[in-house]
Amino acid sequence: MALATNTKRRMVTASLVAPAVAWLFIFLVLPFIAMLVFSVGERAPEGGYQPAFTFAQFANLPSRAAAFWNTLFLAPVGAFICLIVAYPVAYYLAVKANPRYRLLLVSLVIVPFWTSLLVRTYAWMYLLGSRGIPNLLSMVGFDDVRILNTHGAVLLGIVYGYLPLMIMPIYVSLEKLDRRLLEASADLGAKPVSTFFSITLPLSLPGVMTGLSLVTILLLGEYLIPQLLGGGKVFFIGNALVDLFLQSRNWPFGSAIAVTLVISVVFVLLIAMRIAWKIAGTRQVDLV
Amino acid sequence: MPKHYRENAPITAAQFMDELMRLKRGSVSRRHFLGVTGLGLASAVLAGQTGLLSSPAFAEDLGKQMSIATWPNYHDPATFEAFTAKTGVAVEVNVFGSNEEMLAKLQAGGTGWDLFVPTNYTISTYVKLGLIDPLDMSKLTNYSPATETARFTAEGTISGTTYAVPKNWGTTGIALNSKKIKTPVASWKDFFEVAQNEADTRTIVHDYQLTTIGSALVSLGYSFNSVKPDELAKAEALLVKVKPHLYAINSDYQPAMRAGDAWMTMCWTNDGAQLNRDVPEIKFVLGKDGGEIWSDFYAIPKSAANKPAGYALLNYLMDPANAVKEHIANGAPTTDSRVLSLLPKEITSNTIVYPPDGQLTPLEFGAAVTLTDPARAEVMARFKSA
Amino acid sequence: MTVAKAAQTDQCNLKPQGTNVTSHSVNDIEFRSVSKSYGAVTAVSDINLQVPKGAFVALLGPSGCGKTTCLRMIGGFEQPTTGDVLINGKPMNGVQAHQRPVNMVFQQYALFPHFNVEQNVSYGLRQARPKISAPEISRRVAEALEMVRLGGFGKRRIHEMSGGQQQRVALARALVNKPSVLLLDEPLAALDKKLRTAMQIELQTLQRELGITFVLVTHDQEEALSMSDLVCVMNAGRIVQLAAPQEVYDKPRDLFVADFVGKTNRMAATVEADGATLRLADGSALSIGERSALPPGAVTLALRPEAITLHRQNQSISGRLSGVVTHRIFLGSSVEYSVSVNGLGNFLITADRHVLSESSLVEPNERVVLSFNPDAAHIFPA
Repeated sequence: MALATNTKRRMVTASLVAPAVAWLFIFLVLPFIAMLVFSVGERAPEGGYQPAFTFAQFANLPSRAAAFWNTLFLAPVGAFICLIVAYPVAYYLAVKANPRYRLLLVSLVIVPFWTSLLVRTYAWMYLLGSRGIPNLLSMVGFDDVRILNTHGAVLLGIVYGYLPLMIMPIYVSLEKLDRRLLEASADLGAKPVSTFFSITLPLSLPGVMTGLSLVTILLLGEYLIPQLLGGGKVFFIGNALVDLFLQSRNWPFGSAIAVTLVISVVFVLLIAMRIAWKIAGTRQVDLV
Repeated sequence: MPKHYRENAPITAAQFMDELMRLKRGSVSRRHFLGVTGLGLASAVLAGQTGLLSSPAFAEDLGKQMSIATWPNYHDPATFEAFTAKTGVAVEVNVFGSNEEMLAKLQAGGTGWDLFVPTNYTISTYVKLGLIDPLDMSKLTNYSPATETARFTAEGTISGTTYAVPKNWGTTGIALNSKKIKTPVASWKDFFEVAQNEADTRTIVHDYQLTTIGSALVSLGYSFNSVKPDELAKAEALLVKVKPHLYAINSDYQPAMRAGDAWMTMCWTNDGAQLNRDVPEIKFVLGKDGGEIWSDFYAIPKSAANKPAGYALLNYLMDPANAVKEHIANGAPTTDSRVLSLLPKEITSNTIVYPPDGQLTPLEFGAAVTLTDPARAEVMARFKSA
Repeated sequence: MTVAKAAQTDQCNLKPQGTNVTSHSVNDIEFRSVSKSYGAVTAVSDINLQVPKGAFVALLGPSGCGKTTCLRMIGGFEQPTTGDVLINGKPMNGVQAHQRPVNMVFQQYALFPHFNVEQNVSYGLRQARPKISAPEISRRVAEALEMVRLGGFGKRRIHEMSGGQQQRVALARALVNKPSVLLLDEPLAALDKKLRTAMQIELQTLQRELGITFVLVTHDQEEALSMSDLVCVMNAGRIVQLAAPQEVYDKPRDLFVADFVGKTNRMAATVEADGATLRLADGSALSIGERSALPPGAVTLALRPEAITLHRQNQSISGRLSGVVTHRIFLGSSVEYSVSVNGLGNFLITADRHVLSESSLVEPNERVVLSFNPDAAHIFPA
């Protein structure tokens, strides 16, 4: 009897899990396997892929070292600046804002992001170009301010583009933060600043880590913002991939870079999870 | 006519915004805007529905729908509407950013294009990969080899078989803002000099290895199409040296030139003509040391779903009466003397569109190997990531 | 009794010996005409309260009566809309929670989940300025944990502790700061009955040993009566009665207190013109004995269940009220009967089982006679 029940239970579990497993397999595992196969192949003379077994593509990775360096440096830096901008917003929304308007304010954060990032980035191109903000600055005496097509513009675009992805997880973790903990802290004599750093910040760290890893991971694949706001002079791995797949059509090399990128993403994720777990104790930490 | 990478949609939001801005500036008509953005597609399809009521005078069944892959700002949408009205076939327009992108898409399969617009140096590759069919010339009664300029038709015919017929030709030159740049610029050598001096941080080069590396090679006295390692190394060194002085590496240079953010750029003929028409101080010059001359062709993919309609539209476009409207709309020079004779004087006398023959002499056609050479792709990647 | 011992050593640090509950020279907490409203909603209105030093006060009332608001105003989490709250004779207007010499044990404890027990308990000491030295902090934390019988649990994480242990951590976290007043917000609500009773005794002992003022908020009248030496019964934002537990039980000021504190049987009645006779609803008359005369009119008579005596009908006692037993609840040492009386409704009667031990318990459906001493009845205006 017990055995039969067990088998039945296992069958039910299997049938519930099956769609998710199939999904993961078809849309994650298979493409990754295809990418692995491509990455050990060769570029066909007219572009594309032809079967082979060589690690030449991986040996060629150093030729994109600058792209890797740009990405692996700018992505975390961008994510961190994003965090610095997002945290006060999330804090205001979750803690300070009048609950009656909270939903409205949260939607105001999200609504602009229903528009394509491309269109919004083009709007930034206009704002940062000489007829935009620099034009306004020249009216008050700051001539020839150059913003567009600089690293600064790329950073700005990144912070702007990924802000809601940072705000939302932090907002969620702050929103479910027990207010009595803050009162308890004040009750025990902690000044507001001290309460923030001893209680609020550590307890919102799961949200912070989620936001940081989300933004960092997505930034690792970013190509549009550097292309548009960096004038094509700031080269991310994403840009290298776009060029390899759509310009020079070197699929094997593109795949080798993509494989390397995926591995670094997993690496970043593992580190982030470990840090988050450590700080938040053994409580469940949701990442991504 | 290659452009920098854009999203693989019929029209990307970027192009949409670009067109929207141009519409606001009044440099394109509303019809043109609708057509290019694909918003006109809806009206074309609608027209297709009403077209069912009219009686198409075609022996073959053309179906109700076809699809064309082409470049941005490259057609008069009225042409497609008229074609739909005449045949009952609605035309779906897919706009692309680069030849590579088109090639990648066709290679991947399942495009559904019945007609597309490859540039001269890609045709042999398409043939080699078996992606396009020889043209059945009996269906192209409007095409007149006799009135075509041979240098522009040559690459459409491979070993005596015609795979593609020309749409228009053009050049890759230098557009510069004469109010800002006083140093004379007459060559690619001058271009890279001025880029590091008077036009420091105000110069744009294409995000396209063929023209950017080609022009750098030309400025050093080498062939536009060189794939020799030592020459490429020197071109790379020049580009890397110039990079800190550049405003952008971007094939979408019109907005920056119009706004005055950039003062000088590599520029294709039709963009040059449009810029000069709207902002007269922007001049267009060809390098006296060389550069690129190109022509775009029409071809029919082997995988076309509705070849009869593809042929019908191609034949329609070859009719000088229809072609002339296309040329007025997109500003690129024609390869067909019948069309030339129909064009208004102000277009044929524009030396940006129709430069004196002497200026064309040093120019070179891009070669197939120039586009597909992995070494050039790597030079470009190193330049961009430098 | 480790508690008592540990508490005794600590006592010297916390409070000079000899402060006794009866010398009410200084009030630790004082409310002067305090009102608090949230927009149009008034939470408490015109509260006047004086809590003597070293007292154990319970704020008792149903939910929404304003007791928690009062506690939070002492803690500094709310500011009065009008009036003043004083602690140690100093007005606290505008003084933030972190600046007040009080500490609180929160409902569900509000322990910091990312800290271990020790870090939780030392939190308040670590905030102190001038700084307290690290050895001093660990000494006092160890002492506080000993006091709540949690010595050796310092490195445990909060989620590894049981409800009762967490309760004690919360207590230690508050007491380690030697507050002059300890606020307790429903501190035992999350515990099971047995643990709750044990903690009631522990809390009471702690308070006696430490001699500091405890202010307890509870909706549990049993808890309030058993622990505190002053019960402040609140209803609808006002203080209804402030008295010692026994007084609150024996002399409820009004019907609400009579109802809320303990169980009560209510009867509608009318005071006759003589001011000494009550006419019950069934028409029977009742002399209210030696009390001062009441103004004639409608009143409500309240009787504690234990003030009524139950007789078997065959015992030939001339009772005034006769009825039928409808339910019997056996409680071990005592028995509760529900008796339906003609014309007067249901009565609840608590009887010591031994009173009736000469025979078996009264059975449901048995006819009975009820008697009571009129002096035990409370009479309130209807």
